[in-house]
Amino acid sequence: MSAQSPLSPTEARALVKSALAAASFEDVSLRVTARRTAYLRFAAGAPTTSGEAARFEVSVTAAKDGRVATVSGTGRDAASLQALVREAEALAKLAPKDPEHEPPLGPQQYAKVAARDAKTAEVGPEGRTEVVARVLKVAREAKLVASGIVEHEDGVTVLANRTGLFALHAATEASLTTTMRTPDGKGSGWAGGASHRLAELDAQALARRAADKATMSSQGADALAPGAYTVVLEAQAVADLLGFLVSALQARAADEGRSFFSRPGGNAIGEALFDPRVTLRSDPADPRWPSIPFAGDGLPLPATTWIERGTLKALAYSRFWAHKQSKPPLPGPRSIFLAPADPAEGKDLLELVRGVERGVLVTRFFYNRMLDPRQILATGLTRDGTFLIEQGKIARPVKNMRYNESPAALLKNLVAIGKPERTAGDGMVAVVPPLVAKDFHFASVSDAV
Amino acid sequence: MGIIAPMSSSRRSFLALTGLCGAEALLHGPRAASAGQQPSRIPAPKSAPASADAGMALLAASRLLADESLLRTALAAATKAGASYADARLVLMRRERVGVRDDHVSGIGRSEDYGVGLRVIADGGWGFAATAERSAKAVEGIARAAVAMARQSALLMPQPVTLAPAPVLQGGWVSPFQVDPFSIAPAEKAELLLAAARAALAVPGVAHVDASVACVREEKLVMTSEGSRVHQIFFRVIPGLTTTAIDRRRGRFAGRDHEVAPMLAGWEHVTAADLVGSAPKIAEEALQKLHAAPAVPGKKHAILAPSNLWLTIHESIGHSTELDRALGYEANYAGTSFLGPDKAGKVKIGSEIVNLAADRTQPGGLATTAWDDEAVASQRWDLVKKGTFVGWQTTRDLAAAAGEPASRGCSYADSYASVPFQRMPNVSLQPGTEGYTTEDLIAATDDGVLITGRGSWSIDQQRYNFQFSGQFFWEIKHGRLTRPLRDVAYQANTVESGARVTCSEGQTRTASAAA
Repeated sequence: MSAQSPLSPTEARALVKSALAAASFEDVSLRVTARRTAYLRFAAGAPTTSGEAARFEVSVTAAKDGRVATVSGTGRDAASLQALVREAEALAKLAPKDPEHEPPLGPQQYAKVAARDAKTAEVGPEGRTEVVARVLKVAREAKLVASGIVEHEDGVTVLANRTGLFALHAATEASLTTTMRTPDGKGSGWAGGASHRLAELDAQALARRAADKATMSSQGADALAPGAYTVVLEAQAVADLLGFLVSALQARAADEGRSFFSRPGGNAIGEALFDPRVTLRSDPADPRWPSIPFAGDGLPLPATTWIERGTLKALAYSRFWAHKQSKPPLPGPRSIFLAPADPAEGKDLLELVRGVERGVLVTRFFYNRMLDPRQILATGLTRDGTFLIEQGKIARPVKNMRYNESPAALLKNLVAIGKPERTAGDGMVAVVPPLVAKDFHFASVSDAV
Repeated sequence: MGIIAPMSSSRRSFLALTGLCGAEALLHGPRAASAGQQPSRIPAPKSAPASADAGMALLAASRLLADESLLRTALAAATKAGASYADARLVLMRRERVGVRDDHVSGIGRSEDYGVGLRVIADGGWGFAATAERSAKAVEGIARAAVAMARQSALLMPQPVTLAPAPVLQGGWVSPFQVDPFSIAPAEKAELLLAAARAALAVPGVAHVDASVACVREEKLVMTSEGSRVHQIFFRVIPGLTTTAIDRRRGRFAGRDHEVAPMLAGWEHVTAADLVGSAPKIAEEALQKLHAAPAVPGKKHAILAPSNLWLTIHESIGHSTELDRALGYEANYAGTSFLGPDKAGKVKIGSEIVNLAADRTQPGGLATTAWDDEAVASQRWDLVKKGTFVGWQTTRDLAAAAGEPASRGCSYADSYASVPFQRMPNVSLQPGTEGYTTEDLIAATDDGVLITGRGSWSIDQQRYNFQFSGQFFWEIKHGRLTRPLRDVAYQANTVESGARVTCSEGQTRTASAAA
């Protein structure tokens, strides 16, 4: 993998110009993504698959008189690009009217975001092998079986249209996750991290965290009776649940009566719904954890406070819904920062554990699914490190359990809040703290390790 | 099975696995290919349905043929760089989706994703590289990259990858279809969906309708360094219709999905689903759900329709019989399995009447194919025989790792940029021999719930503890369907529930699941 960008700003502008030259509609917009991805997967203590892919995709949306169509392809030459524009226009002519289509945006101002790390873009097979070798060494020394993946990406996203919009975001992203298991399969531990800088991921420290959990659970686990428990959720477990709440921050679903945030005749903006220590923000220009500064339709993503000291302050409005409701449009978040309103409040994980008389420590959740959007009620299971806390100490491993619980209830039933950290996950930058909450509902026991 | 309501003392313990709409889901059986046009095939234990009538013409007109030399270039470059084995594939995915909401089109889109992927073994390690750029220079680049990765990986591997032997073969196949779904204009598709939405909205109390149809054409040319070459085209269609009823006064809503299944088929499957004709019933059932009595938690008997059961089978038995999971390859991601790698033939996971087959030859199945991504012929085999787990899903390297003589043909790459690995075949529960009908099952149930359609689901990483919901729920009392219920979910354990299956429907209907 070379450090050369998969699509430089000059190349992007030339490509956009060439494609739009074929446009006859006023309203034609492009979305271009060029990504180099690479990974090394390992399992049973050795590499299993190793891959690199250079992907390229152009998506063209053409609209006229409310008739809209989108087509996408992988050809990068002028002829392919122009054929795509012509196909989008031809398809749009056939389309019935979409009354929710918004007119094209003009030029926009975006936050300056430095999200591409040249060193991460340069990493090749040797660099990935080094990371994995460090993890495998920890596993060998602890007599555990390691599996996991190190992956990184160098990607460029471009939006452009005929009315002067041009947005370009270049970003690297790297992550390492590992699961360590005892050879007899009785114990399992997980740890993971993500950053736009691969160098920021401490492979040895993550591996040790996973190994410690596997070893701590190696003597086999007892089953706890299902019921309501005080829980200490590690940051990853918080992120796993919180995603459901973040995707519910939509004004339309609320106004249409389909959401947790629905209220008779409107939505819950302004209501104190959560513990006053909770503040949830998004900020693409965060210096340590940068993320894309524009939404899919080209609108800038402003730094936004969604929940401030427990009160719902904002919901996302699409351009259509904003017009309809006479509100300013606000895109949904692409990064989330959950933090104590007072940063001094944030405690270390073990400090949190020390404050719990009896409870369950959860490493992460798995197979999480929404059950009821009106309550944001979700189900899923604990995985790879679940322990009973007694008198402020991690007493013993317990069997994994299924939960039926809402992240809204979690933020309401808060007992204590930890220091935020970046979690590993799909797509969104999530920087969240470990939390202690009471009355967390476990519905049944699982034999899975 | 933990559902709803107190323990009943019904006459028979009944977890029934029944067939309500499976037969309709298999409308088009194998049809003979035109004389002289039968693609060459290595005989498989049971073979895929005959190639579509139009198949040879489609294959001959394929855009992939113009790029075939890239595969030869990639294989030669990989061999030159030191690969002991390589497979290269051109994959062209075309997708089209038309969606409507209420009275308007919510989206018309087409996409095309085309590129070349190359997988190699060098020094006993795997390497994979892919590019969307279709040039000799680009594929020579990925060949060098893949071999470099394989060599790096090999440094950390205690033993080299080996492949179970596979016959060298050449062939072409097109999945059976009657009407090319891409030949229907998007406007016509939108009109059909809007007509269905109008029919649903005509039912008083229905607030919203979402309807869509997605069509996929997957075209794939695979060549191996051993000399195999297979060229295939697959058509899949995915219709959907959801009606939502809202009770604003009580702040409640209920959604009802049409239970039509996605299929390896042409547009005829959408026509047969009769979205317009069935929309009023789906709309009325959303209202019934909205006003249905809540289920009372407890133990009850469940009768699961194929439209519900397929997903439960897919998640509980389908994934647990994947050998890569049992070997720990998925420990960090999808998870492992409650079945250890040495358990074939040794573990009882269901009652005597439970027989589950894996099958990549079944007409209409989403995983049906003539050859897999390693050019291994598709086949049908037993996963569970009379309640005992007997067979794994494998690829060539997994078969070798397990000491099996040959791959089961489960290798699949879902795009040019994805490495092929073991993916699930169609998995079906076999019908019982007694010939019970759904009505028999209901009549024999004292206190239970009939569950149809797919709802929310979740299962642990070793596939023990599962919780599934459904689309529609009927209370059963004293052998009769009494009233609709809402908020039903069932929670159970794969092994315990399999052991308690006491009766399944006869006839030719089966529930099936695919990757």
